[in-house]
Amino acid sequence: MPPSSPPPIDFSQLWALSPEILLTLWGLVLLLVDVGPLRGRPGSSRRKTVGSLALIGPIGVFALLLAPLVAGPGAGGGDPDPTLVYGTIAGDPLATSFNGVIALLLAMVIGMSMAWDFTEHWGAYFALLLWAAVGMMVLVAAEELLILFLALELMTICLYLAAAFEKDKRRSAEAGMKYFVYGSVASALFLFGLSLLYGLTGTTFLDGIRRVLVESAAATGEAGGLSGDLVGATAVLLILVGFGFKLAAVPFHQWAPDTYEGAPAPVSAWIASGSKLASLVALMKVLLHALAPWAGAVGGEAGGGWVLIVAAIAAATMTYGNLAALAQRNLKRMLAYSSIAHAGYMLVGVLAAMVTVRSGSSAAEAAGAVLFYLVIYSLTTVGAFAAAAWLARGLGRDDIDDLDGLGVRSPGLAVCLAILMLSLIGLPPTAGFVSKLAMFLEVLNADASARSTLLLLVALALVNSVISAFYYARVLRALFLRRSDRSPGPAPRGVSWPIVLAALAAVGFGLEPAPLVDSMRSAASAMLTITLPPSPPDLPAPAPVAAIPVSGGMAMQK
Amino acid sequence: MTGGDIPLSWFLLFASAAFAIGLFGVLARRNAIAVLMAIELMLNAANINLVAFWRYSDSPGPEAGPIAGVMLAIFVITVAAAEVAVGIALILLCYRRWHAADVDRYDSLAG
Repeated sequence: MPPSSPPPIDFSQLWALSPEILLTLWGLVLLLVDVGPLRGRPGSSRRKTVGSLALIGPIGVFALLLAPLVAGPGAGGGDPDPTLVYGTIAGDPLATSFNGVIALLLAMVIGMSMAWDFTEHWGAYFALLLWAAVGMMVLVAAEELLILFLALELMTICLYLAAAFEKDKRRSAEAGMKYFVYGSVASALFLFGLSLLYGLTGTTFLDGIRRVLVESAAATGEAGGLSGDLVGATAVLLILVGFGFKLAAVPFHQWAPDTYEGAPAPVSAWIASGSKLASLVALMKVLLHALAPWAGAVGGEAGGGWVLIVAAIAAATMTYGNLAALAQRNLKRMLAYSSIAHAGYMLVGVLAAMVTVRSGSSAAEAAGAVLFYLVIYSLTTVGAFAAAAWLARGLGRDDIDDLDGLGVRSPGLAVCLAILMLSLIGLPPTAGFVSKLAMFLEVLNADASARSTLLLLVALALVNSVISAFYYARVLRALFLRRSDRSPGPAPRGVSWPIVLAALAAVGFGLEPAPLVDSMRSAASAMLTITLPPSPPDLPAPAPVAAIPVSGGMAMQK
Repeated sequence: MTGGDIPLSWFLLFASAAFAIGLFGVLARRNAIAVLMAIELMLNAANINLVAFWRYSDSPGPEAGPIAGVMLAIFVITVAAAEVAVGIALILLCYRRWHAADVDRYDSLAG
């Protein structure tokens, strides 16, 4: 085996990774501060100090992201090179804009965490939140399957632990345990799929995989798809199962309601927003870019591909999520089923993007619509979970009934929560409506052959939106139509500003969606067009591993 | 031919069998420690795949990019170690709450 010496790392590229590096180091600082200078102080005072310090992390990320804009392009070593570190990590507009979104969500989650004393170990808790954010940022930027797997693991391992952080509550330990068992099985399935894909294509780079698949499809003269390719189909299925767990898509959703209900509200919010956001972006990169040649036809033509599988998952996910949410009494559990349902809607958007990719028209617009929906969903969901943090602080419980009478006691926040619920239903004039409309309208741009299946899915999604109105309306009824003598008390600042901010975003982007839509569209076009570095001396086009034909037989013939 | 006399398919069959045993263990075992061991088995099955594919590729080295299959396996071993550390910690936590290491007993959340 000849030793291949990789080219030396260009350390100036690390500037583009500065948000991740900052958050990693800052997490260590928080740990040290908690066990060092603050040792022996009571929990609630450490909560405030460490929490305020933790907020410097996302603020620093904003400063780093804004610095190139202020200093002008090219300053500060901000090289426009799209790929970093041998092409494994993208430094494109997608990564930059989602770093900002993740930092914003992180700040909201940190604010909610400072609302009440649910643990003693504040240094470790906030460090885990920050490191989970690092995992999400790398996951969004990953252009290579190993980096993608490592980022996925970094994110979820931090979240397994954070979910179990609520002391004195059995259900929190159970939440962490269930999340761990389901999540690590999903990781193992994903990894096995990854290993098969590596064996089939000889590379782990997303763009390299795409090239190998395109070449082999051209060689065999087939239009693509997976028919007859047992190994490829297994690899795709296993990878879809892995992502399905992270997204909480039916039938891989069982952990989500238990984990969201049992974990502390800020951690549930972080799992529902940041983790889902980063996983869906990674899923889109893998499906729409690397595995696009294996998509297969939607209707009419023969040739199975992942499009049919994803369509079935999307239909089951949105229907099951909405029907199960109808029966829930706990606010966090209801939001868990709601997040399952939203994952289904987003998968429909991914399919629409795939079909437009195939037909070559406006692929970036369709993918951008999904990203837009994703950002709006994440912001509104974090705001809704902040209400659960408020109830847990004041009453020690978080049922929907515990919201009773808040419309009279805190009218401002109640109106903001109502706006969030309207946005989750998808009613105008909120951003939830605009983003859902934009995503589903993309279906009309699809091929005529593909449109019929997709239109069925969209019709199902619209029926589901109507069903979802019933359970979101129960929150509205509790807020405004019912009275109660129990009150969670006034909301602390850490809870009120995420709710207000999310509601402002829901109204603001509902009335004026253009800026966010445009930036998501450019992010999506970067995601779909990224390639390996153009002239890498040590990185020629990958070749498939010998003796393993990409389609047709299995390696057993050797 | 860069491998030994053992054909690649043997490694793949062995890895698939180990993976299937691991998956069965996760689904069938009720003891939390046994579930953890089964998960390890699945991760290591993928490792065998990665190393076998790397060893048997006819043109190893630069074609596969700077990250070769063995490197993937080394990273996966590290991840598996981290996962075990977290898993043991969570099992201990649950054991203190329930005085049982049986995953079926952790059922305060349902519905």
